[in-house]
Order: sequence, then C-alpha cells, then structure tokens
Amino acid sequence: MNRKRTFLFGLLASLSVFTSGCWSERQLNEIAMVAAIGIDRTEAGQYEASYQFFNPANIAGGLQGGGGGQSPPVSVYTATGDTIMEVHGNMSRKISREPYYSHTNLVVVSEELAQKDGIGPVLEAFDRGSQFRVTTAVVIAREVKAKDLITTLTALDKVPSQKIMQTLESTEKAMGENINIDLEEIITALVSPGREPMISGFTVKGDPKEGAKQESLQATDLPMTVEANGNAIFKNGKLAGWIDGADARAVLWILDRIQSTTVTTEWEGRKDGISYRLARQKTNVSAEMKNGKPHISVHVHMEGDIGEVIVPVNLKDPKTLEKIERDVGEEVKRNIESSLHYTQKIKADIFGFGEVFHRDEPAEWKKIEKKWEDEIFPNLDVDVTVESYIRRTGLRNNSYLSEMKNK
Amino acid sequence: MSPFFKGKKNADQNKPVDPMPGAITSSLQDNLAWVKQKFGNSPDIIIRELKIGSSKVKAAVIYVQGLVDNQLLNDFLIESLMQYDSSSQDETRTQMLDNLSDLVIPMGGVKEETEWSKLFESLLVGATLIIIDGTDKALTVASTQGGESRSISEPTTQNVIRGSRESFTENLSTNISMVRRIIRTPDLWVESMKIGTQTNTNVSIMYLNNVVDHDVVKEVKKRLKRIKIDSILESGYIEQLIEDQPASPFPQIYHTERPDVIAGNLLEGRVAIFVNGTPFVLLVPVVFIQFFQTPDDYYFRFDIASATRLLRIFIFFISLIGPAAYIAATTYHQEMIPTHLLLIIAAQRESVPFPAVIEALIMELAFEVLREAGLRLPKAIGSTVSIVGGLVIGQAAVQAGIVSPPMVIVVAITAIASFATPSFAVAISVRLLRFAFMGLAAAFGFFGIIVGLIMLTVHLCGLRSFGVPYMAPLGPYRPVESGDTVIRAPWWAAKKRPGLFSPNNVKREAGSQMPAPPQPRTIKSESTEKGNQNES
Repeated sequence: MNRKRTFLFGLLASLSVFTSGCWSERQLNEIAMVAAIGIDRTEAGQYEASYQFFNPANIAGGLQGGGGGQSPPVSVYTATGDTIMEVHGNMSRKISREPYYSHTNLVVVSEELAQKDGIGPVLEAFDRGSQFRVTTAVVIAREVKAKDLITTLTALDKVPSQKIMQTLESTEKAMGENINIDLEEIITALVSPGREPMISGFTVKGDPKEGAKQESLQATDLPMTVEANGNAIFKNGKLAGWIDGADARAVLWILDRIQSTTVTTEWEGRKDGISYRLARQKTNVSAEMKNGKPHISVHVHMEGDIGEVIVPVNLKDPKTLEKIERDVGEEVKRNIESSLHYTQKIKADIFGFGEVFHRDEPAEWKKIEKKWEDEIFPNLDVDVTVESYIRRTGLRNNSYLSEMKNK
Repeated sequence: MSPFFKGKKNADQNKPVDPMPGAITSSLQDNLAWVKQKFGNSPDIIIRELKIGSSKVKAAVIYVQGLVDNQLLNDFLIESLMQYDSSSQDETRTQMLDNLSDLVIPMGGVKEETEWSKLFESLLVGATLIIIDGTDKALTVASTQGGESRSISEPTTQNVIRGSRESFTENLSTNISMVRRIIRTPDLWVESMKIGTQTNTNVSIMYLNNVVDHDVVKEVKKRLKRIKIDSILESGYIEQLIEDQPASPFPQIYHTERPDVIAGNLLEGRVAIFVNGTPFVLLVPVVFIQFFQTPDDYYFRFDIASATRLLRIFIFFISLIGPAAYIAATTYHQEMIPTHLLLIIAAQRESVPFPAVIEALIMELAFEVLREAGLRLPKAIGSTVSIVGGLVIGQAAVQAGIVSPPMVIVVAITAIASFATPSFAVAISVRLLRFAFMGLAAAFGFFGIIVGLIMLTVHLCGLRSFGVPYMAPLGPYRPVESGDTVIRAPWWAAKKRPGLFSPNNVKREAGSQMPAPPQPRTIKSESTEKGNQNES
C-alpha cells in the first residue's frame, strides 16, 4: 500500500514538472533587451517613448557577430500612448520580441515633459513593474529631445545608454558638478516634504540626425557628442530651473556627495592662480531653532593637495599654505552661498534641509512642515563654515616657475 | 524488477542439490568413481593414483589444476608420500592415515575429513585430498593452495601523490595480510564466511576489536548471513544486498582498493568486508563526507588538505547544478546575469535553434556517450575517440550553430568537475541527479533547483548507514567530530576518534601534541656563532 502511495506521489510530482509547461520561460532569443528609454511629449500631450534595444550580436562580436562593425549596436523604436503601459502595448506592434526591462539602466525624460507634466506620473510604471530596476539612472534631456539622446551613437562605449550612465558616474566622481541619481532616490525626494530632487541634464552637441548613423562613428572627432550639462531643479515634481558649474557642485557638497574635485583660487591678483585638488571631505548639516526661527548649519571639512600653481608661490612657507587653505575654504563657502541664494529664489529645497530639520527638531517640524517650501526655505538662515587643509603639495615644493622668475 | 504489483511473488526456493553419498567409503575405487561422476570427468580435476609404502597400499591424490601450487605439491606432498616406508608392517589403514598426517606430510593445514561436502569444498579452494584404500577417511592438505594470481600493483582508481603505492589484489588472503602488515595488533580480528550457493565465495569481515562498535559488527554479520544467492562475483553484489536504502542514488557503503584507507578506517572503528576475487574492499558504516576524503588529505599538511577538501565540496555542487543553473539563469532569470555577459550569451544564442534545456541535454548526452565509449575502448583507440569527440562537441557543434559556445563551456566545466570528485560512486550518482536538476531548472527555474536541493538535503539527512546518520557529523551536528568534514583538523588537534563509530574507545592521542620550537631558542644561534666567521 505504502509503495503504491509513494509511486502515486512520485507520479503527481513528476506531472507537475511536465504539465506546468514552463509558463514563465523566456528564451534569450525571444526577448528584446531594452537598454534605455527616452520619453518625450507630443504636441497632443501624449507620451512618445523611444526604446533603445540592444543588438547583442553587434555588441558581443565573437563567432556569430561577423558583421559586427557594420550594423549599429542598438536599434531604436518609438511608440506613443497616453500611459507608459499603453506605449508598451503599442511597441508590440513594431517589434517581433517581447521588451525586457531588467537590464534597462537609463531613463531619459525630455525637458519639455518635465516642465509641463512633471516627472512624477512618468516614473510610476517603472517603479511598479517587477522587471524594472529602481537603481536605473534618470537624466533630463536639456535643449534636445529625449529621443536624440537615445539615438545618438557613441564611440568607446558601444551602447549609448551605457556611455551616458558611465559619464554620469565618472563626472560626479571627478568634478562633482553633476548628480548621479537613480529612480528610487528621485521618488524618495519627490514624496519627501523636506526635499526636492535634482536630476542631471544631458545634451547632444552637433546634429542628432547625423549622430544616429553608424557612419558618424568613422570619424575620430565625432560630429556629435553626448555631454553632461547642468542639473535640473524640480519643484513640486516639475522642472523649475537649471543649476550649473560651481553652483551645482555646491549642492552636491551640501548633500555630502563630493568625492573629488578641483577648487581654484585667486593668488596675487591672478585669477585661478592656485588649483586645490580635493582628496576627501565630510559635510555635516544640522538644524536647530534659533530665536524662534529655523536655522541650518553647514560644516565642511576638507583635505586635499596642491594640484597646480600657475604663479610663483613659496609653498615651503607654512604661512603661505595657511593662507591658501583659508582662501580655498572661502571659495567653497562663496560657492555654497551662491547656490543657496539661487535655489532660495526658485523656492526648491534640493539640499534636503527640510529633512535635516525634521530629524533634528521633529516637534518643531510638525508646525512648519506645510509652509517650509514656500515661506521658510526661501528666507532660511544658513550658517556655512568651511575647514580646509592642505596635506601635500604633490611631488614638488616650489614650482620651477619660481626659478624661472629669478633668472 | 520492482515487485510493485502484488500477487506476483516469485517462488524463490532453493532446489535441493542431487543426493550425494554423505561420507567417504572405504573403497578407493568407489570414491574415485564418485569424484569423477560428481565433476563430470572434468579434465582439470587431477587424480594421481599411487601406491604407498612397502605394503603398496593403493592411494590417490586429488587436486584441481591451477588452484594448487604445483611445485609445492610435487616436491613436498607427492614425493614424501612416495618415500614413505611404514616401520611396522601391520599398521592398519587408519593408523597409516594418521601417520601420514603426523609424520610424513611436511606441510601445514592437514586435516582429516569424512564428509564429501567438506572435501569438495576444500578441494575447490585449492586443497589437496589424499584418499587411501580401505579407510573411510581422507586427508585434506589446505596449504597446497596456490596457482596463478595477480601480484600487488599500484591502485588504478585512487591515486595519491603521497602515500603507499600498493593496492589490493583479487586474492582474499593476500588482501587481509596487507592490512595486517599495517595494523600490527592482536586486536585486529577477522571473521570468515562463505556466501553464494554456487560460487561459495569467501567473505571476511575485519575490525579492530577494541575500537569497533560491536552492535555494528553484529548487524554486519546478520546482514551478510541473510544473503541467499547463487553467486557473489564482486563486492558490488554484497554492497547491493546489505545497504540500508536501495532506492537512494547515493552509495551507502564505501569501497576502496587501498590498504591504507582500510587501515585508517578500521582505526576509526569501521568494519571492512573483504570479498574473494575483487580488489575492492567494502567499508561500513559510512557518512556522506567520507566520499570527499582522499588518503592524501591525511598525509598532507592540514591547511592544504582543508583547502582541497573545500574545493571538492564546491566541485560537487558544480557538477550537480552547473548546467541546471545555466538553464535557469538564461531562461527565467536573465536579470541575474550582468548586462554585458548576458549580451555575449544572447549574441551566441541568437542563431541556436533549440531552447537552452534541449541544447544542454544534447551536449550532456553527447558527453556521456563519449565518456562511455572512452571507458570501454582499448587504450589505443581511446585517443581517437577523444579527438573526434572534442571536434564534435567543441568545434563543429558550435560552428554549425547547433549549440552556443557558453553551453560548451558550462558542459565542459561540469564534466571536468565530475571527474574531480574523488569518489566515483558519488560522481555517478551526481551524474544521474544532474539530469533531474536540469529538468527542474527547465520547468521552474531557480525555484525548481532550490526545491530539488531541499529534497536532496532531506533525503540525505534521512539516510542511515548501519545505524549511523548519513550526514553525520554535520546532520546531527557533533562538534567534536566535525574536525574531519569540510575542513581537516591538524593531527595534533584530532584527539578523539569519531564517537559515532567507536563509542567505547574514543581517545586517539595523548594530551598536547602540538609541535613547538624549543623554548630557549638558542640552537640556531649557537651554531652560527661557532660557524665560520670569515665569510666576509
């Protein structure tokens, strides 16, 4: 009896293997892997989404990819719809395979769409879908269509989306003037009452029509380039302005995201006479109530080396070094205050001061939460202190420039 | 042949062998006739008739050609029989037989027998019978045993880099003596029995009396006695007839052809089962982790031994779920593969006409066919197979676009991994299970693999080998004994024998055995001081 029961159980168990029919199975040659999605706004107010699909054979090369050099590494298909899901549906009319989003690492939203409709509704489907990763990077197409960023081919990195992502990563690391922010961070910032998101902008220099052709890659100096270009500031989910250069770096400084950068300072009347290469920094932001008013303190501690001097400086003198340290600190402080001034005008708290205040003074926050963005943040007292140190002067003490002058 | 359907019970009754006159008679003529009839006049049964002594008593020497040592037989037995001259003329035939046994035959193992069954039995293991006319007794001389047998050679299945180079032979007594030479203590006990109604195979069990768990010995004997079968041709017969769970794909009895492995395991309290006619000796009880141990582990330093032990466990998992993981990842969980790697795999798979699981099955089957062919072929042709196979599997299949290169890599790694498993017994069970895992991966993805692994773990934890849990000392966790599992503890730390096998005698070594430099570390410096100072 027992034997019979075991046999029946085994039979049923094996049936479950054979009858389930591999329902969620996807063979690799039945899916189209989406590399990036660019979303524009049509005249009618619909979404126009451009999907950048990988062409595996043209990227991987190898035995089968004999003609790899001739055809482009990605193909772009565009579909429209009122919602992202509708776009997804319409896309199936144009391509033979099922779009697969797990390896999508970039979403481009056009400036126009971000201004008019806001970024919130666009991202919902991506946040909800199980295939989509919340670590996907998001950028704003500045002064061009999102589709242009998607279609432009790039050198070095064969896949344009990867080029954009890696550019973003490396420029944030090297200069700190662009923020590399992913889907999840954006959504967190969107829902937080004490913070607004800041998203990097990208643009195409040159003719995007040319850039979409494989032949354009034959030149050493490409006719068009995809570049990081400023950061978009959002207010209430809508694009409210752009912040560039040193001002943008100051924002990242307050957010404590700066890993390395170069600060230049004037020396003996010569603009940018000394370049200070940041090695490490730590920024603390704290909040308190002062005289019944919210007060934010930003404290920057930075260490670095002398990167370049273009005027003769006596770097052997500790007093000189102290002065450079002070000057560099003041330069950073000026940057921070300038960017504060700008964002206070736009009334967008991209620094997350509200969140800091919420953490440090939870009881007071309850009272002012509602009027933070529009009344309190624009008139906020922010106290910036910068502590800067020079640890090394590179391989040299005094520059050879000093000796040239003595001659 | 599973008796799943009831009512088909085989009538399995031993047919009584044809009647035999129970004992030897006093007529030599009748006796010899009976022997001839019984053996059907087989020409290799040699009956040498001779006359003994001055009274010319008729006698016969009977032996089986090839089973006896001819030189021994001629020089000592027959010659001394012929030179025998009885001192007293009136000795009876029975006295004569006694005299032969006591005074004449210069050999050991002489015994008087009357029963035909006993006589035939000893005749067939190489003893010589001496029958004298007029007595109803016969002499058996057991020590004439001999004949051709393979000499001790290097092991073919369990090669070591360091360690003894000898392996067992087909001869039971040689095998037992090889272990005796390693463990020289009277506590090494051997018990013998015959199994097989036709083959009458000698089977011996060996254990260390002061270490072994006597319940296990009792159980081994009980299971061996239960066997009623016509033949035992190899220890595999015994293995399959006494194992605990015949439905399990995992071996529950260890086999080896190395005397040092047997010695090491006897010292841990296991029982060895020797079977005549095979160099493979069985060991019970076993635990799963034993199949990942090699003799080298104990001869090399413990850190290296532990590292290779870990590697083997890793290898076990590769050979078990290698292709399954590839199938699952490429058909269900593409998000798990790094983007660029996925693109490479996708590019290669673009032109492959089959789903990944079919592709894997084709490659695995092709490999199994090649392996099987390689095993059976003579060495000279073997290399041809590997060249052709390498071309078919590696080159042509990929160029034809029937399989993708990543699949070739996966199958090749898996194949090599399965060869790297030290125990062939586990390697073949894993080979079988690999296909089951591939099926599960194809139907359910990683979910299926995990379910399969859970079922496998449950099954392994449920197994027993002669009362010892199969996964011990990991399954029921026994910290003291886990020094010889995934890692191999240094010898100076292995103070106890595994209590699972030798509950009575667990102490293995004295207190602090850890080596250390001499405390005043002066030996070296003194010698350098005295040494030649003029070097500069």
